[in-house]
Amino acid sequence: MAVVTHAAPAPAERPTILTWLSTTDHKRIGLLYLTASFLFFLFGGLLALVIRSELAVPGLQLVDEEGYNQLFTMHGTIMMLLFATPAAAGLANYLIPLQVGAADMVFPRLNALSFWLFLFGGLIVLSGYLTASGPADVGWTGYAPNSRLPYSTTIGTDLWIVGLALTGVASILGAINFVSTIYTRRAPGMSMLRLPVFAWTILVMSALILFSFPALTGALVMLLLDRRFGAAFFDPSQGGSEILWQHLFWFFGHPEVYIVALPFFGVISEIIPVFSRKPIFGYRFLVLATILIGAYSFTVWAHHMFTTGAVSGPFFSIATFIIAVPTGIKFFNWIGTIWGGRLSFDVPMLWAIGFLYLFLTGGLTGVILGSPPLDFALHDTYYVVAHFHGVLVGGSVFALFGALYFWFPKMTGRRLSERLGKMHFWSWLAGFSLTFFVQYQLGASGMARRYADYPADAGWTGMNLLSTAGSYLLGLGTIPFLVAVVLALRRPADQPADPWEANSLEWATSSPPPHHNFTSIPPIRSERPVFDARMAARAGPEVTPS
Amino acid sequence: MSRRRPVQRAGRVMAAGAIGLLAAGCLPAGATAEGRDIGTLYLGVNIVAAAVGVFVAVLITFSVLRFRRRADGDALPAQTRGNLGLEIVWTVIPTVIVAGLFVATVAVLTRVDSTEATPGAELDVTAFRWGWTFEYPGEDVAVSGIGVPGPVVVVPVDEPVRMTLRSSDVIHSLMIPQFLFKRDVNPGHVNVIQFTVEEPGDYGGQCAEFCGIYHSQMPFTLRAVERAEYDAWLAEEREAVAVEPASERP
Repeated sequence: MAVVTHAAPAPAERPTILTWLSTTDHKRIGLLYLTASFLFFLFGGLLALVIRSELAVPGLQLVDEEGYNQLFTMHGTIMMLLFATPAAAGLANYLIPLQVGAADMVFPRLNALSFWLFLFGGLIVLSGYLTASGPADVGWTGYAPNSRLPYSTTIGTDLWIVGLALTGVASILGAINFVSTIYTRRAPGMSMLRLPVFAWTILVMSALILFSFPALTGALVMLLLDRRFGAAFFDPSQGGSEILWQHLFWFFGHPEVYIVALPFFGVISEIIPVFSRKPIFGYRFLVLATILIGAYSFTVWAHHMFTTGAVSGPFFSIATFIIAVPTGIKFFNWIGTIWGGRLSFDVPMLWAIGFLYLFLTGGLTGVILGSPPLDFALHDTYYVVAHFHGVLVGGSVFALFGALYFWFPKMTGRRLSERLGKMHFWSWLAGFSLTFFVQYQLGASGMARRYADYPADAGWTGMNLLSTAGSYLLGLGTIPFLVAVVLALRRPADQPADPWEANSLEWATSSPPPHHNFTSIPPIRSERPVFDARMAARAGPEVTPS
Repeated sequence: MSRRRPVQRAGRVMAAGAIGLLAAGCLPAGATAEGRDIGTLYLGVNIVAAAVGVFVAVLITFSVLRFRRRADGDALPAQTRGNLGLEIVWTVIPTVIVAGLFVATVAVLTRVDSTEATPGAELDVTAFRWGWTFEYPGEDVAVSGIGVPGPVVVVPVDEPVRMTLRSSDVIHSLMIPQFLFKRDVNPGHVNVIQFTVEEPGDYGGQCAEFCGIYHSQMPFTLRAVERAEYDAWLAEEREAVAVEPASERP
């Protein structure tokens, strides 16, 4: 295939710091989101390495109990709310207008507001590190009354509340923008059932945000009122309820799991067809499964609360089991896409295949935890830690890296090094497996989570050492990625509009796209307009048998 | 071509990893009647989960290896868009499997949660930052302790033991790993649990719900003994309380 060179942007458009600070362009905002969330990810990852170093051997070596509590609180908070959620928002910001064939989001200024609220909310959460008593120490779940006064006295907890409330508002505003853009800005011919699966997952994710984040924001405000203004929402001795916090938190918190999973299911549904050279298998079923997962995700929250003794075990158990069915449908549709294809193992596809294996383990152990009697044994142990890292790291983070390798040429006009990408992938696959698979056994043999230490005679030292070694591999394995990004950005932009022979509309415009995205849009007659256009061009006069 | 071999090897490594994982995660044998039920359920569920996991992992591995691009790589494969029959099959089969899991779950849950049998010993448990008090109502006996190693609570073996769980501050959770069980100890919502220890012995207990700085340092020991030994212990404790004037009682 001939190398197509695209004209560099006119010198007048050369961006300055001010351009980035004042931008309302969805692509720039998307890149800001991705960059900021990735920086949070690196910080949260460093905290994880300190946690693993502390747990490598019994005894307290690096931090004391309070320091440890702050570590896992900030690690969880950063990874869930300052990394995974905004990273999905970043991808969506960049891709949704392109995928639906629009020039920008419906509300560009609101979009910018979302980003800055998120960034400063996140910085407020982290600013606890600048206070004398340190950051929040209540766990990312902030269970009341432990998060009330007089129990959590650090001002970091107040900063955590205020910062998270702001990022919650940012997510809600972003969701409004995504829904509006997908509903009203689709190009002619782009019916709802021709939307790329990624766009569908963002639509459902946005609906989840709209219904679930207000519960978190409300709960956080109530907690702040409890702490600083004499309210007693979560104090049973004054007529409040300690269980109420958990209901509010998990009414947000379980949809949140799907908020940071569905977009990445969407990513996988974009990558696998391209590198299998087939359309996605069972498009309508995948869309239906996405909607069902979204709807069911509001019925499962109290499976986090089986051990409270204050919820219906059977109801939340069957709801949890049922949500596994549409998730399974997705799995089989991904395999169905691979089946009969012509697979190439470019780096994005490697991450997608790694995702399939690792998410499988996280998903199956989720079903096990959905059985209340088994949860009685495994709740609050490392089994749960292994499970949700399987879903969130083996699932979402693997898919995110796949997405970054896949769309980096579109976003920058440059390709990330294959060799560095493979080093990155294999060290992460090995690192993940070492770090988290032993934690299932640690949890099953009774090692509780959120403990700064464990007994030397419990027989856990070897497994913990292995887990720690794995986490270092994850840390080291990230370096090739950072190097690849730096190297790629130092080279001139050379990527054609469609370097992967892909399917959806973002590949119909230059890499990177011009300010208003498209100079022309191919006819949209399926969910693969770029594929259709490529076929039409090949069927044209010059049929070259390569 | 040389670049395919690592892919094949990788596929095998990944399949082996998935199978290895599903074989891992073994629970200890439950030391109570309820824990034994939970252990049996866990084993059954894991066999089903492992079967599903291995099946899917093999399917992924097979399709990834079988359908990799070969020398004639540029021809487009058949553009299959879906198959209604298959979709129905892989919707119905998982539904049947989880329905089975649900039935088994409810059966065990009902037994584990049951507090109907008349207990041989009743205890009022109070958790606090960072320790436990176990009171024997009507017996005028209590054991209490903070920090490590924590109090030793004695219960009779082979008889239902009922514990009423309350917290005086934040949420804690009473966890005895060898019972394969835990239950939150709340400051508001009172929980009642019941279990029958089947083997005499000392069982380590701990807090499982994050409760502040010294969350990891509030263990206790549950000592299960024969009835006669239990009665003797109660009498001894009562005597000790009677000798010391009950100064702490209002």
